[in-house]
Amino acid sequence: MKREVRFAEIAVVGGGPAGLCAALEAARAGARVVLLDRQDHLGGQLIKQTHRFFGSKSHRASQRGFKIAEALTREVASHPAVEVHTGATVFGFYEDGVLGVEQKGRVFYLKPARVIVATGAAERTLAFPNNDLPGIYGAGAVQTLVNVYGILPGRRVLMVGAGNIGVIVSYQLLQAGMEVAAIVEAAPVIGAYWVHAAKVRRAGVPIYTSHTIKEAYGKREVEGAVIWQLDGDGKPIPGTEKDLAVDTICLSVGLSPLIELLAQAGCRLAYVPELGGHVPLRDENLQTTVPGVYVAGDAAGVEEASAAMMEGALAGLHAAYSLGYGQQDYEARRAAIREQLEALRSGPVGEKIRRGLSKAIIQL
Amino acid sequence: MLPVDGIPTPEDIMAKMPPPERLARGPVVMVECFQQIPCDPCTHACPRQAILPMKDINEIPRVDYEKCNGCGQCISVCPGLALFVVDLTYSEEEALVKLPYEFLPLPAEGQVVAGLNRAGEEVCPARVVKVVATEKMDKTAVIWLAVPKNMAMEVRHLKVKPRGTTVICRCEDVTLEEIEHLIKVEGVRTLEEIKRLKRCGMGPCQGRTCLPLIAREIYRLCGTEPDSLAWPTYRPPVIPLKLGVLAGGGSDDAQA
Amino acid sequence: MHRHEVIIIGGGVTGCAIAYNLAARGLRDVAVLERYYLASGATGRCGAGFRHQWGTKTNCLLAKHAIAKLETLAEELDYPGGIDLKQKGYLILAYTPRMVEQFKKNLALQQSLGIDARWLTPEEAKEIVPVLNTEGLLGATYCPKDGHANPFKVTDAYARAAKRLGVKIHTYTEVLDIKVEGSLKTVLTNRGTFQAPVVVNAAGGHAATIGRMVGVDLPIKPERHQILVTEPVEPLLDPMVISFYHHLYCQQTPHGSFVMGLGDPNEPKEYNERSSWQFLVQMAGKIVRLLPPLKNLRVVRQWAGVYDMSPDAQPILCEAPEVPGFFVAAGFSGHGFMIAPMTGQLMAELILGQPTSLPVDMFHLSRFSRGELLIEPSVV
Repeated sequence: MKREVRFAEIAVVGGGPAGLCAALEAARAGARVVLLDRQDHLGGQLIKQTHRFFGSKSHRASQRGFKIAEALTREVASHPAVEVHTGATVFGFYEDGVLGVEQKGRVFYLKPARVIVATGAAERTLAFPNNDLPGIYGAGAVQTLVNVYGILPGRRVLMVGAGNIGVIVSYQLLQAGMEVAAIVEAAPVIGAYWVHAAKVRRAGVPIYTSHTIKEAYGKREVEGAVIWQLDGDGKPIPGTEKDLAVDTICLSVGLSPLIELLAQAGCRLAYVPELGGHVPLRDENLQTTVPGVYVAGDAAGVEEASAAMMEGALAGLHAAYSLGYGQQDYEARRAAIREQLEALRSGPVGEKIRRGLSKAIIQL
Repeated sequence: MLPVDGIPTPEDIMAKMPPPERLARGPVVMVECFQQIPCDPCTHACPRQAILPMKDINEIPRVDYEKCNGCGQCISVCPGLALFVVDLTYSEEEALVKLPYEFLPLPAEGQVVAGLNRAGEEVCPARVVKVVATEKMDKTAVIWLAVPKNMAMEVRHLKVKPRGTTVICRCEDVTLEEIEHLIKVEGVRTLEEIKRLKRCGMGPCQGRTCLPLIAREIYRLCGTEPDSLAWPTYRPPVIPLKLGVLAGGGSDDAQA
Repeated sequence: MHRHEVIIIGGGVTGCAIAYNLAARGLRDVAVLERYYLASGATGRCGAGFRHQWGTKTNCLLAKHAIAKLETLAEELDYPGGIDLKQKGYLILAYTPRMVEQFKKNLALQQSLGIDARWLTPEEAKEIVPVLNTEGLLGATYCPKDGHANPFKVTDAYARAAKRLGVKIHTYTEVLDIKVEGSLKTVLTNRGTFQAPVVVNAAGGHAATIGRMVGVDLPIKPERHQILVTEPVEPLLDPMVISFYHHLYCQQTPHGSFVMGLGDPNEPKEYNERSSWQFLVQMAGKIVRLLPPLKNLRVVRQWAGVYDMSPDAQPILCEAPEVPGFFVAAGFSGHGFMIAPMTGQLMAELILGQPTSLPVDMFHLSRFSRGELLIEPSVV
């Protein structure tokens, strides 16, 4: 059976903040873009971010995430050079540069001249006794339930992880009417921005640093959780157990970049803990070791959405430029995006990202 | 009170306490036998004859504390499980209690169990230092428990808390215990071997959930850093796809 | 520097079976060198079937003895978890009058060798495989004692048994070059130097490369074969189904997942372990027509492995005439796994200079220069 392969100039895989900005930037430069997203709507994780974003006022800061998604989606949908496919999952990146796409029960094959992989990241989980009880969720899943579908997963929750996601989701669960029994964090310090932590704390949520979950318990579903303290080496201290009656446990223990397609494409990967795990090596323009294949956003290394948008724009700009589009404005536009990206990563909280990037960015 | 609720009173206990100066010198037996019954195996159990011979089999055992070195050989002999060894000098913060235990499964050395007092209440966590269960002891094991020092005269039993199942691979239902066994007992060190022996990473999620967890266990148990582990190949399709859809004819529910 | 009596290059099922058989016969100073992890090459990627139904006497006998060994392998090697053995037969489908004629010839041969194989009408075939679409089917042959096993576990079982007997297994050890001085062979690897008077080439798709290192020209070419696996479901398919007409095979493992593969006559002869989307399309199209209910099954993974193809698709088992002490066990052309228990035994006998329990002369490398190819009519 012969299948027709469709050709395309630029394919963007993933319609989250990085993918949307990549598609827009490339289309504005004049290239024709096919944007593929596995969800029924564009926006990725942005659509469930009900909080105001940090960042530069000149670039959407202080807007709420879902508003940014709405604005970007509108721009993409109204751009004649962007062909949007929702409900379309890229299931394989094959040896001949062909992407296999499944869309609502049909399969088609796409051979783009350039591919920008902006597949985001997957939530990590944790090994502890009874971690398979109903009532244990990833923070992202809870955020989708609550903020997208308006469903509360339970009444009282233990949040594991005090990074930005754990603390922000805790706050949103309070807003949605849940009680947050505690936030535990294995590290000795809170990972989230302190302003986020402070607003949760003053709403009455205890934050236990150097603590982790010991076990969950319950007959058919979560009835409680036991937490305990960790010593300086990260080892639990017997006798420090606290029993919390909760019906929901929310795990926010980090994200792993989704790099399967890049691995299949043959991109060289490196293990960079600062960026969340295995990430593709790439140059300053986000081009990987496979010519014509780009990466942007969390798939390139877990970071804030604001940086993902800038990375997407940079990758989209260069992909279009490499096809001969946008030659005149290229240098100026590139400088402007890079300046914003560097500003986002410049401060003390960007130190870890900078360290990670120094291992992932290479000269091609 | 013992006759009504089975719990000895503080006075009962005081009367059985070895002399403080003996306790200060190290492990010593404590005989919590409160009633005259016809029974004397303990008097024959001690290699040093520290438990004094009885004239009448109904006597309550008496101890020559100077002879006792706290070896604990008497413990498993007592049909009433009334003999304990207490060592207040075990460490700076902890005391050691050696007690008889006749329940299965036996706790593992290193395992943290619940320390129970004479009323059966959980009073503290206790760490199992040693499990002695020889053929000769005929199924009455002696468990050495490290407990906080102030609990040495309180903890007289233990409860093994059922360890809940820790699931590592959801697709193929593989538990932490199975992974630990492969690493610790079978000597397996690589993700590829664990994948092939347990199917971790061969399910629909292709290892997104389990592989980072397994890498962490390998690091915890062998010290191998995740970046020096070979990661299994990421194979297409990255999501499960119906054969009918791939064939172009759809499946029974066309929405796949 | 490591000194040994025998060095085996290749930690697939063949290499590990040879190592075990040598050690079990008393030659325990053996090292196995594997460039990656055990069974990482063709063994761990194969379709894992074994069958008695062949078209030459040699292959029928080889298979019969090998399968008898597989049946008791877990006990022989003290491998308590077992090797996931399933013996629910092979159903080989005939679609043309020529196939019918050939299959009936094969059956006569098999039956003469005491193999319980028989002819089935399309209706009888459908009784054994109710999900089979019999359109166009002229008949089938069936042997209930055919089946499949878990190739990784078989290899692991051999390796563990060999280790217990003193064999050293070096994984992540890639052979870079071999020097021959007199009877001594020096094997250079990324993890040090190994020396032995006897070296066995069990390197599968890399066998020709290893042969070149000592100046032995092996007519073995790598050829990619692709395969996929589905999600697990309740038992639906007892036998392995093979169709030479469609170039495909399909089986359901004890785990419940379906494993199926396709031979592509146009596949280039090169070392390629990557997957193609064309395979997915073709495989899905063919299997959905042949076993229609499978259309609702989800594919969870596809992969590729490399056959070590010899000119007549039969193995080369011998000592290289030009380099004494250099033995070859390669060129299995897609059926190395199923005969590995016998390969292990026969090679050990050859190396030890013992009489072989089955004739092996016809597998000698020299057959190609003499033009005496072993033509096996019954291959995918």
